[in-house]
Amino acid sequence: MNKKYDAIIIGAGVIGCPISYELAKNGYKTLTVDKLADAGMGSTAASCAIVRAHYSTVDGVAMAYEGFKYWLDWENYLGNVKDEKGLARFMNTGSILLKSQGHDWRKVKSNYDVVGVDYEEWSVERIKEAVPVYDLHEFWPVRRPEDPKFFDPPTRMLEGAIFCPEGGYMSDPALSAHNIMRAAEAHGSEFLFNVEVVAVRDDGNRVTGITLKDGTQFDAPVVVNVAGPHSYKINQMAKGVWDGCNIKTKALRHEVMHVPSPEGYNYLEDGYHTSDGDVGCYYRPEVGNMFLIGSEDPKCDPQEWVDPDEFYAGKGGQGRDNQLTEAQYKAQSYRCARRVPDMQIPNQPRGVVDLYDCSDDWIPIYDKTDLPGFYLAIGSSGNQYKNAPVAGVLMAELIDKCEKGLDHDKEPLQFKLRHIGRTIDAGFFSRKREINYNSSFSVNG
Amino acid sequence: MFDAALFYLRPHVIITDPMNIYVCVKHVPDSAATIRIVEPNQIDENITFLLNPYDENAVEAAVQLKADSDDTDVIAVTVGKPAAIDTLKSALAMGADRGIHVVTGYWPDSIVTARALQAAIIKDGLPDLILTGKAAIDSDGYQTQFRLAAALDIPVATHVGSIARNDNSVTVTCGLEAGGEQVIRMRMPCVIGTAKTLNTPRYPTLPDIIKARKKEIREVSIDHLAIEPPDSRMEIIALKSAVQKRRKQMIAGSIEESVTELIRRLKGEARIPLS
Repeated sequence: MNKKYDAIIIGAGVIGCPISYELAKNGYKTLTVDKLADAGMGSTAASCAIVRAHYSTVDGVAMAYEGFKYWLDWENYLGNVKDEKGLARFMNTGSILLKSQGHDWRKVKSNYDVVGVDYEEWSVERIKEAVPVYDLHEFWPVRRPEDPKFFDPPTRMLEGAIFCPEGGYMSDPALSAHNIMRAAEAHGSEFLFNVEVVAVRDDGNRVTGITLKDGTQFDAPVVVNVAGPHSYKINQMAKGVWDGCNIKTKALRHEVMHVPSPEGYNYLEDGYHTSDGDVGCYYRPEVGNMFLIGSEDPKCDPQEWVDPDEFYAGKGGQGRDNQLTEAQYKAQSYRCARRVPDMQIPNQPRGVVDLYDCSDDWIPIYDKTDLPGFYLAIGSSGNQYKNAPVAGVLMAELIDKCEKGLDHDKEPLQFKLRHIGRTIDAGFFSRKREINYNSSFSVNG
Repeated sequence: MFDAALFYLRPHVIITDPMNIYVCVKHVPDSAATIRIVEPNQIDENITFLLNPYDENAVEAAVQLKADSDDTDVIAVTVGKPAAIDTLKSALAMGADRGIHVVTGYWPDSIVTARALQAAIIKDGLPDLILTGKAAIDSDGYQTQFRLAAALDIPVATHVGSIARNDNSVTVTCGLEAGGEQVIRMRMPCVIGTAKTLNTPRYPTLPDIIKARKKEIREVSIDHLAIEPPDSRMEIIALKSAVQKRRKQMIAGSIEESVTELIRRLKGEARIPLS
């Protein structure tokens, strides 16, 4: 006799855990399964965990800004649950978006005004006052060090920045997922680790459960795919789901570098998260007084699509899996060093390599599917960590309403963001949407 | 060729003007890389290579000596495949003035490396000091510095934790086993193998890296150095991956008892200096 649940969530990352949590709070008996040994140990662990509001769409900004309210009130969000590992902390550094040709910052500003995001406009002088180590010349267009023009001296200054004081980052992304798991467990959720899903079963009409690699079967009328970089593989297991998605997902390899702060500058204590489209990077403080540097996916950076199983098994090829490549280390650290010229660049690269679960337009899919009972929270595209608690609420509401008869494809859920009071059309995240050309097609979302 | 060169080298005990410090550096695989053996005696080189970390201490020492002396030229020298030029660029970004790349199509053994370094240095100028790391992290051979000093017929000290320069000599402190030290005075020119304790190598900044792009790197084929072929040479026949054997130990008892026992074992068997 198979064990039965109201809902099974595939993936115990930072989005899977809040879905379990919110469903459990709504009375669902949930089981969350994960291939790894604990919550948040997959691509969540390598997330930069940045909490910022600037997105290229109004709904993107609204959802992110709603998310702020959860991170800023973390303990209450968790229901003051105890976690033996301790609680992750929100590092409220504030978030600087440099006004550059690399960002459509005017659109962001307009979106901020529509949503009501708290922000300030900073002059170059004001930025310099806040972060004296920044060189605020314009270095556009984004280039790689292999390009001789990369080293050309700049001639113009940037215009300034938009500063969002509520932004920052979470101290430990894996721990944050673990915290949410403990909160979900307090409401009866169950978690099962070190198990691999090999089949999504159905009865010809709707989903009926999952089968694990060891043959164990669990039954549930609701199954949610939150499998991160493996999302497309899970979709291919569910009848009709892959073909029913107009927007697909696939796994993109990404590198993040840790580079020491300039001598004498305490970036860890005094620094800000910064989005710098002018050099195609974002950066934030990291433990050890480091700059954590990610790429904003400028056109000059090659994209490497990989098989997640091969990547995590170390089969992607020498130097291609969990090791930084020299070329990308130099590209990102040198680009960031144009902004921070006194940054120290060790000969030995340091950082992390992991995968994005990337959608065709870099906007996530939060949706039902053509297989009744099978839902998607996928395509986070490196930009959904900050939205995780909101995604949990959205998915729980979407699932509940669809299970009670809502035809979300015809009449998309109108989802009210409970903290900022704005309602967004959840059809924005539909699997059947056409590619959204308002997207930045990058980690910026 | 060598005899003639050494004839000029041996009388060179008075500091020349400018002072020439040669730093021998090696292009090695990143210690964080996953080394994959693709042939019995070769690794897959599609990984990050960098300036041998021990050699970073030598470059740093040279740059600090240059800071103390107005007229000092720091020349980084490497022997290796074309890609080794990146290691020279790293040394230049750290403050070396120029570089010499003895280009090979293979990774030579320490005999050939020492002879190539000797020939390249002599061809370039008269050394006052030759610095290098105490070892290379790839081959871990601890040979090249001694072979180079022997070829040049000059003294050598290794595992050097301090360097004090006098008019025409240096006083160095060498680490010995069991924590002992030996203080040695050597007339210049001499070879110094630097220890990790000597200094903290600087990390270059982007302006340093940009400045280094304009510094000279002279490339010379090893064939054009006409070095004397050794009577015998080392040949790596096979490489084998290091295998870490893990042994599971179970500690029973209450939490307090388990923690106490764990600390005892860490301090004892594992020799971890816990306070």
